[in-house]
Amino acid sequence: MKRLLSLYGIAFFAFVYAPILLVVLFSFNANPINMMIWDGFTLDWYRLIFGMETSVTESSTYIDTTPQLYSAVRVSFTVALTTTAISTVFGTILALAVARYRFRLAGLYRALLMVPMIMPDIVLGIALLIFFITIGMNLSMGTIIIGHCTFLISYVFVTVSTRLAQLDLSVEEASADLGASPFQTFRKVTLPSIAPGVMGGGLLAFIISMDDLVITYFIAGTGNTTLPIHIWGMLRRGIKPEINAIATLLLLFSIAVAALGLYLRSRQK
Amino acid sequence: MKLSDRKTWNLRALLAAPTAFLLIFFFGPLLIMVVYSFLTPGIYGGVDWTFSHLNYGRILGWADTKYEKFDPVFLWIFLRSLRLAALTVLTCVLVSYPAAFWISRMPKARRNMAIFLVTLPFFVSLIVRLFAWVLILRPTGFLNQGLMGLGLTSEPLEFLYTDFAVIVGMTYVFIPFMFLPLYASIEKLDSSQIEASMDLGATRFQTFRKVVLPATLPGIIGGSVITFIPSLGNFIVPSVLGGAKVVMIGNLIEQQFLSARNWPFGSALAMLVMAAVLCLLLAQLKLARTTEERA
Repeated sequence: MKRLLSLYGIAFFAFVYAPILLVVLFSFNANPINMMIWDGFTLDWYRLIFGMETSVTESSTYIDTTPQLYSAVRVSFTVALTTTAISTVFGTILALAVARYRFRLAGLYRALLMVPMIMPDIVLGIALLIFFITIGMNLSMGTIIIGHCTFLISYVFVTVSTRLAQLDLSVEEASADLGASPFQTFRKVTLPSIAPGVMGGGLLAFIISMDDLVITYFIAGTGNTTLPIHIWGMLRRGIKPEINAIATLLLLFSIAVAALGLYLRSRQK
Repeated sequence: MKLSDRKTWNLRALLAAPTAFLLIFFFGPLLIMVVYSFLTPGIYGGVDWTFSHLNYGRILGWADTKYEKFDPVFLWIFLRSLRLAALTVLTCVLVSYPAAFWISRMPKARRNMAIFLVTLPFFVSLIVRLFAWVLILRPTGFLNQGLMGLGLTSEPLEFLYTDFAVIVGMTYVFIPFMFLPLYASIEKLDSSQIEASMDLGATRFQTFRKVVLPATLPGIIGGSVITFIPSLGNFIVPSVLGGAKVVMIGNLIEQQFLSARNWPFGSALAMLVMAAVLCLLLAQLKLARTTEERA
């Protein structure tokens, strides 16, 4: 029984990781027609996405999409960084207010802040689209940022709240008793102790914003393609080997960010 | 008195910006969507500001005008989405449960590593993960090449653009959602209870059904709810892996907004999804209350 379970466990991890590893493997396959047949190791697909000359670029049907890719990366980073900044500040403020002040609406806040997290993203996407058009706001990078913040504030709120719940209130009280102003107490006592939660929430917001497809799809308008939408567009035009290379690079990036999060968490313990 | 006054002011100043932001940009849009679902679609896209219940009538059965006619296909697509979401939840449970059980019996250091490895794909771009499945399932893909190599089939089978592909894709994407709540409840399982049950002569199956399953039910329910909600309204997985053949309610909503340009009808369809989600959450709440009362 035990051996059967271990065997299953290995199969489970194979199911989880094999598809991803397949993409990485194919990104180095020289065969331009059939990815399934190994035709030797190549870095051509990586050279191709960075606009360098390869065997494919000489063909007459080749269209250089490097500028679009660069633009998509730029839009994605701008959106994700701005979104992370706004939602981290707002989420942290809300978490502090709900945890540290006793007020009548605290329970309501806690409940309502759960709503964005369980809202199906297509519903939020179309609701935002209708809203922006109705109030006459042009779809732009700004609308993408607003759209991402509406649900990422909740993620930061939850992460910081979890951290606040583990903290000892008496340290803050001691600081106030010893004559520190509320701002001093916040800066010297509260903020350092919630820092891991704030950073964890911010990192989560960054990753989700970088990866969001559905909400961005509805409110991006034309000319503000983010990286996931760019890849989706490429996919719809046909399966090409260079998608493997872009996917692999994106994969490396997400794993690096996730590992950074884990590292920060382990250091603060 | 003074101190508490200042506290209230601090609080108001703190809450003002985020509260205003969420009221305007989260609850505002939802409200407008509800309003739109009761308006008349304009002839050239856009919307006429006159009340209409026919958007719901088209879905549920009472609309019979020339342009707004009841068509059972909408309800049928909705039911099919419910079915696909339910099947996704079922596969997620079946795939994750033994794995969560296996990991919960590991030594602590390895356990943490294993949990990290299960959740890591959640951080990997969704579109990359779905692309991987396109490579596996398409006619010249990995799975077909493997099956033909083994001589199990002489020509490629159609995996891509089927219900099967959509369920596999959604299962793959939502495994972390199911795994974590499952693991949390399995880890709390008291192994002495299992031993007692076995010592008293229960078979493995009886022990599982009478001891293990009831104790881990909260995890199964929690995981099922948070897997079901994003599955039901999903439109990326069916558009990448289901193509035009597997249309879910999410694809239907998308069409109303980006090609048919009938926003009121699209809003009504979205309200249908919201209603289903709400019913599910209420049922979960009620279930949690009754189990609490029993305990």
